[in-house]
Amino acid sequence: MFHWLEKNPFFFAVGVFLVIAFAGVIEILPSFAEASRPVVGLKPYTVLELAGKNIYKNENCITCHSQLIRPFKSETDRYGQVSLSGEYAYDRPFLWGSRRIGPDLHRVGNYRSTDWHENHMMDPKSVVPQSIMPAYPYMFTKMADIDTAYAEALTVKKVFATPYDAPNGTKLGTLEESRAAALEEAKVIAADMKNKEVKDAVARGEIPQIVALIAYLNRLK
Amino acid sequence: MQSNAALEYDYSVAKLFTYATILFGILGMSVGVLIAAQLAFPELNYLFGEYGTFSRLRPVHTNTVIFGFMISGIWATYYYLSQRVLKVSMAESKFLMFIGKLHFWLYFVGALAAVVSLLLGISASKEYAEFEWPIDIVIVLVWVLWGISMFGLIGIRREKSLYISMWYFIATFLGVAMLYLFNNMEVPTYFVSGGIGSIMNSVSMYSGTNDALVQWWYGHNAVAFVFTVPIIAMNYYFLPKESGQAIYSYKLSLLSFWGLMFVYLWAGSHHLIYSTVPDWMQTMGSIFSVILILPSWGSAINMLLTMKGEWNQLTENPIIKLLVLGSTFYMLSTIEGPIQSIKSVNAIAHFTDWIPGHVHDGVLGWVGFMTFAGLLHMAPRMFKREIHSKKLIELQFWLQTTGIVLYFTAMWIAGITQGMMWRAVDEYGNLMYSFIDTVAALHPYWVIRTLAGVLYLSGVFIFAYNMIKTMTSSKELAQEPKNQSPMAA
Amino acid sequence: MINLVEVQGYARIIMTIVLVIILYGYILHLYRSEKKGERDYEKYGKIALDDDITSTPVEKNPNLHQKKEGEK
Repeated sequence: MFHWLEKNPFFFAVGVFLVIAFAGVIEILPSFAEASRPVVGLKPYTVLELAGKNIYKNENCITCHSQLIRPFKSETDRYGQVSLSGEYAYDRPFLWGSRRIGPDLHRVGNYRSTDWHENHMMDPKSVVPQSIMPAYPYMFTKMADIDTAYAEALTVKKVFATPYDAPNGTKLGTLEESRAAALEEAKVIAADMKNKEVKDAVARGEIPQIVALIAYLNRLK
Repeated sequence: MQSNAALEYDYSVAKLFTYATILFGILGMSVGVLIAAQLAFPELNYLFGEYGTFSRLRPVHTNTVIFGFMISGIWATYYYLSQRVLKVSMAESKFLMFIGKLHFWLYFVGALAAVVSLLLGISASKEYAEFEWPIDIVIVLVWVLWGISMFGLIGIRREKSLYISMWYFIATFLGVAMLYLFNNMEVPTYFVSGGIGSIMNSVSMYSGTNDALVQWWYGHNAVAFVFTVPIIAMNYYFLPKESGQAIYSYKLSLLSFWGLMFVYLWAGSHHLIYSTVPDWMQTMGSIFSVILILPSWGSAINMLLTMKGEWNQLTENPIIKLLVLGSTFYMLSTIEGPIQSIKSVNAIAHFTDWIPGHVHDGVLGWVGFMTFAGLLHMAPRMFKREIHSKKLIELQFWLQTTGIVLYFTAMWIAGITQGMMWRAVDEYGNLMYSFIDTVAALHPYWVIRTLAGVLYLSGVFIFAYNMIKTMTSSKELAQEPKNQSPMAA
Repeated sequence: MINLVEVQGYARIIMTIVLVIILYGYILHLYRSEKKGERDYEKYGKIALDDDITSTPVEKNPNLHQKKEGEK
């Protein structure tokens, strides 16, 4: 049998494939069924938060920041309660990261405020003198993509039955409704900010990236 | 045998991929050096406005090196050696020739588009799978073309038995195809929502923990099938051919192939503990996984033993030097990996620099050296000229070896230092260091690492120069060299 | 749902053992058939060394048609 395989590339390929695929099936599938249920009380992201999460995703914040607090005392002391699987139920993609060049952010909303983030994103060294994080001043002038965030929320609602517009859930509604809702949320955040341009933009009805990002970071609790 | 006396191997596709390997190698590793420097000197983040921050460039570095340098390196060597071990020329089939060229150009255009999309800040934020869905589709097409090309060539082969290198290439093809497809299952939001928002955006089919499971199933095994399996394929061809010694034990190479296939996705497990399974069974599971690992280590030993009785070549031929030291680095990083996956070690090592350190002693030492050696071996045969300079290869070898050693020692120390600082507590049980203390402590190691990167990168530039000189102005060869590659002093 | 994890545990252990048996069976097969003189595996090592397009294949592919090119 073995010798025959060596000479028959097609069946050989099938053999290789079965070996590597079967491992995946047994390793992944059972955990799969378990891990996807949300913890009690978890609400889907609002459109503004989702727009902020997309900035986090597109800028690859995960290259330096993890969102996974491991069950060690040193980690819970530093970052807060251990991360639970169900807390990530609405994260597509997951944003755990793999390297902490900067600190973990899974519960950053508990101990950092809007104005802290505002100063820090504009110039990290002004808040943490030894910081090596790059500044992101362009987030104060570029506008957040609310429409894409709405499209994403609508997609997960349709395809994965994420509970938008459900009782006690997050309201989504139509594109116009969610634009208006995002602006309301943005106004609350902008009220805590100092930057003139940002305030003006929100007053005009536009939402700079920084506002969306802060909405997302504040939600991480 | 064949009536056509002028029949020759056709290296036109191999040459194209060779150029791409050099180009992406320089590009990817230069970005690598830049981002290493950014950690030590953060001011460097602002060289190119928003396109130059660490967060934008790091995926550019990883993806250019993996999908640019490495994948084109694999295909350059594949298009070279597959013809030779199958004893069939691509020139014998116009169809395969066309597919080969299409394969290259589609790949090249796709790779450029991918780099641009990352620079623009379009990312799926799954490591080594950052590309958004339109580029994923191009990648799948490119992969299918490779499949057609490979199985097509196998279909018209003269040599009935497939040489061991071909086994490894087939495994690469299948493994990466499966991993990539499943990890990149995405739903484009533009179409589902009826045309709202950006067309590039997509959501992952899996959420949260499940997404993490699939991603790291991909992440770990993609390393296997891009950085290990095809490199072994190269080594099993280039080392025997360059040294004139047949593989020490062909049987061992067959065994280690299956050993590797079984181990990498299977027993290379990080979850050996199943609470509900009886203890004695768990123990048995662990023992058997260890037994399974043994044959797969055979590869490295087999490569070194191939040189038995011919060790003098190590001093005489710098290409052999690259090949043998590469195999040694392979052994080093395959021992390091399992050590890091031990629970208590992982508790310290995870999230620290030890992880990129581990990756780099594998990729710089094993993957890089094998690729350089392979291309240097191919050059005199593809371009029918001797290698421009032996001295330059020697120089490259020593610069890069020094670079690698500096790199991984700096990263080991940095990783363990930071891991220990994160958990250090004073006598009252309070954390001793704030996070920023642990970052500041790493500055000297990051400087050393940058320096190491500069050394390695200058080796790459020397290599590129040597190759270009070989292609254009070196002495022409009357006939193809049998084993040792001819090179001018 | 808990049961799935248990099934996974058992499936994994059993699969590991089966793979070990296959692999070591293969080792036996290789060395036995060479000892009995049925096969010579080491000759395949020559495929890499003697790889000119004009050299004689270690084992000829019998399916190979004699026409030269233009086939799919």
